[in-house]
Amino acid sequence: MSSTSQKHKEFVAEPMGEKPVMALAGIGEVLGRKLEENGFDKAYVVLGQYLVLKKDEELFKDWLKDTCGANAKQQRDCYGCLKEWCDAFL
Amino acid sequence: MPFVEDPAQLSKSRLKSDLVAHHVALPPAASKKELYVELHLKHIDQSNCADFSSDDEDPVHDVVGEDPENATVLDPSALTDKDLKDLLLKHGVKAGPIVASTRAVYEKKLRKLLQSGGKEELNEAENAVLYSDSDEEEEGDENKEEQEEPEGEQEQTAEALKLNQQRCNKPPQEPENDILKEIFPDTNATPTGIYATPRRPIKGAAQRPIQYAYPKTPVSPTTLERREVERRLVPIYIQILVFFTVVYVLYVISVIVEDGSSVMPLLESLNQWSDSEEGSPALDETQDTHSASGEL
Repeated sequence: MSSTSQKHKEFVAEPMGEKPVMALAGIGEVLGRKLEENGFDKAYVVLGQYLVLKKDEELFKDWLKDTCGANAKQQRDCYGCLKEWCDAFL
Repeated sequence: MPFVEDPAQLSKSRLKSDLVAHHVALPPAASKKELYVELHLKHIDQSNCADFSSDDEDPVHDVVGEDPENATVLDPSALTDKDLKDLLLKHGVKAGPIVASTRAVYEKKLRKLLQSGGKEELNEAENAVLYSDSDEEEEGDENKEEQEEPEGEQEQTAEALKLNQQRCNKPPQEPENDILKEIFPDTNATPTGIYATPRRPIKGAAQRPIQYAYPKTPVSPTTLERREVERRLVPIYIQILVFFTVVYVLYVISVIVEDGSSVMPLLESLNQWSDSEEGSPALDETQDTHSASGEL
């Protein structure tokens, strides 16, 4: 029973560079496409949004839900993934 | 401001200009002066609240403050970025930059805050009282009532609501933890094995499947085998290759030992094969055999 998925570990292991938004933990094909439609086509753009919201958990999760319809687990995974990445590289 | 301007004494046009100066959305042109007074009190006088605390002002202020709050700031999307940020700050939310992508989130947040605005303040008061002493709850309520008169009745009902909300928030998390605790340690088992409490459902019985926090994916023995085999897939091929190489080498050796007439073509074929595959070790061998056959 691991608390972080393989996707999370892979994302947090290195600088995200030009990784697509679907490389984020919790973001699959469907959500990724919706984010891309809204202009968030790369992982770093979502990172930008996370930072502009001052890394606030609730705000970021709300934004994610409003933008692509992520459920609670997906929100949690994505937030955790970005948070850990920032802790390591930012 | 050293003195208090009583908005009721100001003229309607003066109130209007004041509101515009403070970037407040004006009500329709045909509204009564009272509306302007309320707006004035709400937006302009509230900013001076910190400077003075007068008991005379508060009742009027609070009564007036509640109604226009829902009437004027009903539409956060009509506010400017700065006003939105200020309002959020007033509700205790330190907002970041309000940009195109963040505006929607902050508007939503403000709406949520406005709806529970009254209850939030009461909740804070309630928490402060709770932290101090649980026995003093009622006394604290009474004190609060004395200070903030008009919200007395609403306070109690809101309190009850808040308590219920807090209770409702907790149970969803409890069953998950209870399930895990009950299944694995299983120490508190009753003689019949059935654990019935008012809040916890009977697990595993009456068509209620046990819900693990993280359901395990079913792994059959064949998949386990296949995974092991796949792990060893490459080494197996290497083993087979080595095996055949050894067999061939032994065959060649046996041929050499036999020293039959058909040695030369075999050696030539071996040479060709070794040139293409083996490399130096085989070449040495063929050179030796060549020299050996040459001497013959």
